[in-house]
Amino acid sequence: MREVSFGQYYPSQSFVHRCDPRTKILFLIAYIVSVFLCKNFYSLGMCALVFLIVASCSGVPFKSLLRSVKAVLFLLVFTAILNLFFHSGETVLFSWKFIKITKEAVYFTIFFAVRLFLLVLSSAILTLTTTPVALTDGIESLLKPLKYIRFPVHELALIMSIALRFIPILTDETGRIMNAQKARGADFETGGLMKRVKAIIPILIPLLISAFRRADELGDAMDARCYSGSKVRTKYKKLKFTWRDLLSALFLGILIAGIVLFRIYTVSLI
Amino acid sequence: MQAIRFEKVGFSYQAEQDELFSDSATFSLDGLDFSVEEGEFVAVLGHNGSGKSTLARLTNGLLSPNSGKITVLGLDATDEKNLFEIRKQVGIVFQNPDNQTVASIVEDDIAFGPENIGVEREEIGRRIEFALGAVGMSEYRHSTTSRLSGGQKQRIAIAGVLALKPKIMILDESTAMLDPRGRKEVMDVVLRLNREEKITVLLITHFPEEALLADRAVVMNHGKIVLSGKPSEVLAEEETLKKCSLTLPRPLQICRKLQSNGVAVEDCFDADALASALAPMLQNTATENTSEQVENITETGEIGSVYCENLSYTYNPSSPFATHALNGVDLQIHAGDFFGIIGHTGSGKSTFVQHLNALIKLPTAEKKYKPKKRKKNAVETNTKLQVNGLDLTQKTTDFKLLRKKVGMVFQYPEYQLFAETVFEDVAFGLKNFNENLTEEEIESAVKEAIERVGLNYEEVKNRSPFELSGGQKRRVAIAGVIVTKPEILVLDEPAAGLDPLGKEEIMSLLHTMHQSWCKTVIIVSHDMDEIAENCNRAVVFSGGKVLVQATPKRLFEKDEWTKQAGLDLPFTAKVMRALKGHGVRMDGDLTVEKFVEDLLKNIKTSGAGTSLEQGGQSNA
Repeated sequence: MREVSFGQYYPSQSFVHRCDPRTKILFLIAYIVSVFLCKNFYSLGMCALVFLIVASCSGVPFKSLLRSVKAVLFLLVFTAILNLFFHSGETVLFSWKFIKITKEAVYFTIFFAVRLFLLVLSSAILTLTTTPVALTDGIESLLKPLKYIRFPVHELALIMSIALRFIPILTDETGRIMNAQKARGADFETGGLMKRVKAIIPILIPLLISAFRRADELGDAMDARCYSGSKVRTKYKKLKFTWRDLLSALFLGILIAGIVLFRIYTVSLI
Repeated sequence: MQAIRFEKVGFSYQAEQDELFSDSATFSLDGLDFSVEEGEFVAVLGHNGSGKSTLARLTNGLLSPNSGKITVLGLDATDEKNLFEIRKQVGIVFQNPDNQTVASIVEDDIAFGPENIGVEREEIGRRIEFALGAVGMSEYRHSTTSRLSGGQKQRIAIAGVLALKPKIMILDESTAMLDPRGRKEVMDVVLRLNREEKITVLLITHFPEEALLADRAVVMNHGKIVLSGKPSEVLAEEETLKKCSLTLPRPLQICRKLQSNGVAVEDCFDADALASALAPMLQNTATENTSEQVENITETGEIGSVYCENLSYTYNPSSPFATHALNGVDLQIHAGDFFGIIGHTGSGKSTFVQHLNALIKLPTAEKKYKPKKRKKNAVETNTKLQVNGLDLTQKTTDFKLLRKKVGMVFQYPEYQLFAETVFEDVAFGLKNFNENLTEEEIESAVKEAIERVGLNYEEVKNRSPFELSGGQKRRVAIAGVIVTKPEILVLDEPAAGLDPLGKEEIMSLLHTMHQSWCKTVIIVSHDMDEIAENCNRAVVFSGGKVLVQATPKRLFEKDEWTKQAGLDLPFTAKVMRALKGHGVRMDGDLTVEKFVEDLLKNIKTSGAGTSLEQGGQSNA
């Protein structure tokens, strides 16, 4: 239950899984920028193609990928409707009273929806193929330069990894406390908003107290294991770039070059 | 050289500092003298709040004393400059395995300590290998920590400490939250580390059985050391132990009872020794009774009973993480039973128990369920589940009434307390179930519940539940469940984490309830002695199925079922089994009290009772 509900890591040994997390993070950032740079359906189509290639190399079934869109489906539909009705345009396709749908609006709506779709799906690929631990390691490594401006990179990474580690524990604990209060007749499912908010208190307080207690104990355990900050610390796990990362970088280069070319090409058209 | 040396150490908690979390608000050490030799294995015994855990924290500077001197491996522990060095040499394993793991992957967690002291990368790799090998968990190097069992997690915690190559290891009640199997795993590792790696071990515990493994046992009470010496001698001091809220180890309890009845047996600490001491005095009384007493289950629908047929449950169905928790459970609990549910973590017992008050509802009882689908899933249709006369397979059942009448106390129930006062917390369930009660009715019900769990109503009603001691919190939590006067009371590990006296008190509390107003009590337990001592019937779960249900006597008569489920036997059953090896068959009761009676009867009737007469005379 916990693995599914959080992190949504999909265990596999695919090409994408075995890439360095830093490569994946940078790739995703570059990809998102590219998607935003797209101005027409040609370049967007190219982004979609890249997505399809990466997705098919990731070993993640398409079904699991689509599930990640579910969360933003409402946003997607909502913005699509807004765009459809309120985007101004000239060629009117349909009009009824104050509602007016133009050809430009349809075009824009589809374009926008595809763009959002790609953004969500590509981010999902990162979390589906990278363990939370690798993700934190990657972020820590990428943020390393910030150390020179005294940004606490190591501490931030440690906080993140501890938070990740405690998520399944606290999820379980929430379930346990909820069950215990349900057994005492607490009702979380019916009633108005105020009643439901009030019903959360018997869960929230024990959970908070337990979290504080755990933090306290963890602090002691870390102290006892000689934790003293980052000064003398060494690191056991080192991230290593491989040929996979090189290949990905090349691929990314082609994509960006393509999009830039398309931009110049379309600009010259107009 | 002495590994640890305390000289006239004084220490007191500031009460306000830890009020929210500590079990005992005020507490102090006064002029404590204590030392541990290098390579020694010392067990420190004491009830909760006796000061034994403070000892551990003082040793590696997590706490510092108000007065006196603490020396660890020749270093002054009160000097802050030495702390880093001392912590390298002194590893502590704490109680809760979940709260001392830093990373999500086993090897990353073990690497944490060596990383902190700046060990080179390759060396860290070697240390991980060594540490995992030492605790016998090499194959789990890349596993996720949260997926391990309690015993495994605790072994990983030990490995995490070992990777720092300490000379001293302190186990601060590290086994208190584990099941017997996990406890044994951890104790085996600790013993081996002491014998083979020559690590000095300070074991803080309230299980007398564990203290027996040590070279020396120390008993603490109110911040003072009251006994110190060979474990077999220290643990035989019945009077002093009682004063410190500790109990004799079970084997010794039997020996003492026999001795006081004039049987000449020496103090024994395990089943085999006791059996070989007793064997010459006993005669065969039991005939080979292998008449398989398979209990038939029949539906009665009586108040206080549970009837269950072909119950199955799968977590996360149709996902890659699907786990079959229950695979066709057939089970019957009669009204009036003190019923025991035993089985390992993952055997399905917790899932089963959650069905009893519909925390897990059967698919047919869900609101969304449409009978049309029935053909598709033909298996569910012949599931029967009846609790307290209510049919849980129907969605028309009054589930609120069910929850009111089937009380459920979860493991460590004190963790669900939330209200500002004890009164409010206990009244929570009552108000949820009965919306139209008057103030007076609520007050009288709450008062009754609080008094039933053995607390003084006037004293505690306006206090915050968080200021109470651990044992009191648990009582308040139980009061919060029994306030609705359930007909069936289900308790998951009611005595977990309590010291021996606390355990006894909780169990006797349950018996009082059972005899006076609560029809049926169901306890889930890992402790076979607890089951043998308290239950009239029990069931063994294994792999989501019922292996056997019978009286404890039949259940533990042969070890085939318990072995199959990976469980231990209660001590009394072990003695009888060992006796069988000596050619003596007897059909004794499994509770200590009655077992001793049966032994005495047997000794009297057998001719070898000369020792009895002599003993009797000297006793008189």
